[in-house]
Formats: sequence, C-alpha cells, structure tokens
Amino acid sequence: MTLIRRTFIGLALAAPVLFVASADAADAIRLGYQLPLTGNTAQYGQDFKTAAEIALDRFNASGRLPVKVEIVYEDSRSDAKEGVAIARKFVDDEKIVGVLGDFTSGVSIAAAQVYKEAGMPQLSQTASHPDFTKISEWQFRNITTQAGEGPYNANWILSKGYKKVAVIAEQTDWGQSVVQYFAAELAAKGGTVVFTEFFNRGLPDFRALITKIQRDKPDAIYTGFFYEDGANFLKQAKQLGVTTPIFSTSAAHNQKIVELAGADAEGLSLTTNFLPNSPRPEVKNFVDAWVKARGAEPGQFPAQAFDAVNIMLDAVVKTYPKTTRASVREALAATKDFPGVTGLTTFDANREPQKQLSKARVIGGQFTAVSE
Amino acid sequence: MFDPYYLQQLAIGLSQGVIYALMAIGFTLIFGVLNVVNFAHGEIYTLGAFVGLLVITALAPPLLVVVLVVAAVGAAFGVGLERIAFKPFRRFSDEASLKSRAMRESTLMSSLAVSIVAREGLELAFGSQMQTLPFDQLINKPIALGPITIVTGDVIIFAVAAVMLIGLQWLLTRTRVGLAIRAVSANPLGAKYVGIDTDRTIILTFAIGSMMGAAAGVLVGLYYGAIFPAMGFVPGIKAFVAMVMGGLSSIPGAVICALLLGLSEGLATTFISSNWADMVAYGFLIVTLIFFPQGLFGAGRERV
Repeated sequence: MTLIRRTFIGLALAAPVLFVASADAADAIRLGYQLPLTGNTAQYGQDFKTAAEIALDRFNASGRLPVKVEIVYEDSRSDAKEGVAIARKFVDDEKIVGVLGDFTSGVSIAAAQVYKEAGMPQLSQTASHPDFTKISEWQFRNITTQAGEGPYNANWILSKGYKKVAVIAEQTDWGQSVVQYFAAELAAKGGTVVFTEFFNRGLPDFRALITKIQRDKPDAIYTGFFYEDGANFLKQAKQLGVTTPIFSTSAAHNQKIVELAGADAEGLSLTTNFLPNSPRPEVKNFVDAWVKARGAEPGQFPAQAFDAVNIMLDAVVKTYPKTTRASVREALAATKDFPGVTGLTTFDANREPQKQLSKARVIGGQFTAVSE
Repeated sequence: MFDPYYLQQLAIGLSQGVIYALMAIGFTLIFGVLNVVNFAHGEIYTLGAFVGLLVITALAPPLLVVVLVVAAVGAAFGVGLERIAFKPFRRFSDEASLKSRAMRESTLMSSLAVSIVAREGLELAFGSQMQTLPFDQLINKPIALGPITIVTGDVIIFAVAAVMLIGLQWLLTRTRVGLAIRAVSANPLGAKYVGIDTDRTIILTFAIGSMMGAAAGVLVGLYYGAIFPAMGFVPGIKAFVAMVMGGLSSIPGAVICALLLGLSEGLATTFISSNWADMVAYGFLIVTLIFFPQGLFGAGRERV
C-alpha cells in the first residue's frame, strides 16, 4: 500500500517536470549536419561548421521563429561508411527535419541512399557530382556543377584567343567531370585539348607532370584541383619557368592558395560565384563575422555552406508550424531567387541550383573580379 | 642529340629520389640496422618540420642554424619516443624475453600509437590545413643548368643526404659506437654478455636516427614550402619501401633504392601517367620481395 502511495506521490511530483521537459524539447526544431571534422579533409568541415554557426546564431537571434533551431554536427571523416552510419542516426532522430552535407560527392551519395529510403531532405553545400541529385527527389545541392562551369570556362578561354589547351585534374569523380564537360565544349567551339592527364590528390611534386605539359606547348592550362594541390602546382610551374596562363574552377577559389603560393599564384584565373570583397551588404556582413571568427577571409566553400544553411532555415520558416521532413522538402524545392552571399539561388526541377558565375583573377594577391 | 625533355625528367626523378633517400637514411638506421620495429619515424619528420616553422618564425636564423636546432630537438624527440614506446618492452632482461619476437614486435603497436597521438596533437595545435613557411626562407629558387632546371633545394638536400650517408657509414664501421649498434642489432643478449650497455646504445641510435628524420622534415618542408600534420605518412611509406628493397640493414642499399624509386616514379609519369607513378613504385617492392627476398643489397637475416 505504502509502495503504491509513494509511487503515486512520486509520479505527481515528477509529472510537471516531465511535461516541461518534453514541451521544451518538442519546441526546438533540429537539423543534422554531416561533415568531416577530423581526418584529411577536416579543414573543409571545420570551415562549414563555422559558417553554419554564424548562420544559426544570426537566425536564432533574429526571432523569425518563436522556437529555437538546433544543428547536430556529426563527424564523417570523409568516409562513406561513417557517412551512412550518421545518416541512419539522423533518420532515427524524429526531431531532425532536414540534413546538410556531406562534403565530398562520394560520401554524400552513399548517405543519400539512406535519406532516399527514409524520406529526409538532404542539401549538400559541395557535392558536385552529376549523379548526386539524380538519386531521388530528396537530394539538393548548393554548388554549380562542372556541367555549368566547364562550358563557361571553355568559352572564356576561347574568347581570349587560346585554342590549344592542356587539361589536368585530380583523379576523382569530380576531376573526371571537370575534364569531360570542359573538353566537350572546347571541341564543339573549335578549340583542341592537346594534353589530358589525371593526378592523385595530395601529390607533392608536380614537376614531372608540368614538364610533360610544357612539351605540348599549349596556349593555356585548365586545371581541376583544390587549393592545396593548386598551390603546389603553381609554385612548381613558376620554378620551371611556365608562363602559360592557368585557368581553374571555383574549387580552387580560396584565399589559402594565395597564402601558400604567394607571388606564384599571381595571374591564376578562375570562375566563382562568391567574392569576399564584393560591396553587397549581405556579403560584407558574412565576411565580417567570418573574419572575427577565423582571422582570414572566407573562400567559396564556406560561403556555399553559409547559404545552404540559410536556405534550409528559410524552408523551415516557410513550413512552420507544420514543419515535417516532407514539407521541408517541398519548401526547398520551391526555393526561388534566394538572396545569399553566393548570389541569387533558385532550384530547378532537377533540384540543381541556378547561380550566376563570374570571372576572377588573382591580382596583387587578391581574387579580383574581371570582366572579359 | 638527346632530347633535353628527358634530361629534365631524369633530373626531376633523381631529385625526388634524393628526397626519399633523405628520409630513408634515419629510418633504416633505427628500423633496419638496429632491427627495432618503429612506425613513428614519419611523425618525427613532421615534428621536425613544425619545429622548423616555429624556429623560423621566432628567430629567422640562417638555414644551417635552423637545421641544427631542428636536429637537436629531433634527437630529444627520439629519446622521448624510445622512452615512451620502446623502453617499457625491455623491462624484462631474462633470456626468454630478450629472444621473444612477440616482445620485439609489440613495438609495432606502441610506436604506431605514439605516432597517432603526435599527429592528432599537431592537428589540434596547428589545424589540419597546410601551413606555409616564410617565402624568403624557402629553398626553391630555380637554377638553370643548360636546358634543364633544378632548384637550390636539390643541391642542399643532396649535400645533406650525402653527409648523412657518409657520416653514418663511418660511424657504423669505424667507431666503437657503431660496433655496439651492430652488436646489439645482431644479438642483444650476446651484446649484453660481452659488456655492452644495450640501453644506452639503443637510446643513442634513436637520437641519431630521429635527428636525421627531423632534419629531413624541415628540409623537405622548406623545399615544397608547405607543411601539414599528415605530411610524414607518404614519405614514411616510401622510406619503408626503399629500406625493404635495399635489404633492411644496408643504408647505402636503402639510398640506392630510394633513388631508383624516385627515378621510376619520374619515368612512370613521363611515359605512362602521373597517377600510375605510385603503382610502379609499389610494383617494384612486390617484384623485389618475390625475386630477392633478402633485398637487392641485403645480407641474410631471418626476418622481413
């Protein structure tokens, strides 16, 4: 008898506490972010996390929603197995209504299979492999693919009067797409690819490759690399006396490439949709917050991550209070002319972002917009 | 007339080989000659590069001073590494333990553990991204030799590797210390019985080998102008391959095989494609192990 009475009293005392706790937890809306926070690509994941924190802090301070939004970060180490495990974890968490990430196309695609089955909207800031958004209606990305950038660059190079182009790219799915889309457009418009070769990511010494390129005497060199490989390539090209103009994709757009290669980065031309020295107020705000957190200017990838988080938050706002995984997906798909730091973003029927590309060149140690 | 293009490619391949050789010398001294399984050499190399960065940013001394300071710190790291990862496995001095392969090879795990801790520690302290060394300190100014171009670093690294190689050969074959190292490597128990201080000899070998590893790290860092916590991994593997191909206990053998590796990678890039270069290098390792199980320059030893 006493036992029952005690239990009742206990329950009666605990009930309000339980109620408050569950009400509190039910209020917060949760998003998942899978990204590499350790391992070889940790620097990118750390950048995304900083960008997401800036976006989220601003959002929660703005009071656009009566409840808080939380982001759960999980470290995928850029490992597809980890990515899938994280995806299962996110899917099992009922409160998560949308997922951001992963960094590489490979891991994003692996995790996408889980999100496809469970019906979870996934928005990657960087997965640029053409197959990623083809997996299901749940996959979105906030990066222009090489299908857009390659032809744009081919036309740029041809307009400068360069006909013979050497192409090198890293030996990854992404690197293959760099070469494929660029070469197709160049050939169609009357140029020739005189040299094509892939290299292993993280190659410290490009000199043998550069010597080989020089032998074919191209008018220009088109490159698919990220900033670490890019810096090595540019330094060693200068050592070997290469004066051929070098073009690259937005993947190399990072102030670190100038920091690492110094004066040897001068003259590198690339496409981008984010320039930190742009006068637009939203860009200035983001760059100021970033410089405060990190001490240097952000590159293209953090800007894409920042916009991706904001696009996701915008979708949450639009669906509130009926925020579910399905409604967030609908809202994401309806994104039109979202004003971000990487320009206006609209998702087309294939969930591909339509963005304006612009041309930039390293002049005096700064990525500077050029119109040519 | 021989096409200067091939001369240039040969020069690049050789300079790669010299860089591998620089790493392989210290590695072979500890792993091969002393016969101690040590997988933390790559991290000593990385630590050397980071100490170099700190020394250069703090004091900006001339290159020779940087290398000497880094070598001294490297020696200290070597002694520390030995104390943490190797000494505990020698605490039993009975005959069974000294002869036990399991005891000897358990340092595989302990040295690997130290290397992981060191690498992750560097990542926490410096971040995992590449750091640049001050540009005016780099050793990559081009030198034109007729139709081919090399850089200042090629000459410096070649000279340092040559000094290390000759110095070590002299040490190992002409001095009592070298005799002690070879005795400990051949038979630790026997060495003990004839009155050699095995502990001291092992610590000394670690100090010398790690000194060379750290110096190699800072030189290669200055050569490429970029350092990062994972930088020791690939050179470590290449040094290991060179050592095994060279017959484990032979330092000149490891150096020659390192040059061969660099050349074959350069030629693979020239004639096939850059992404096959590593395959060629590791292909050489497999061929060597199948047809010359003792290595190309090795005397017989019971273990690979």
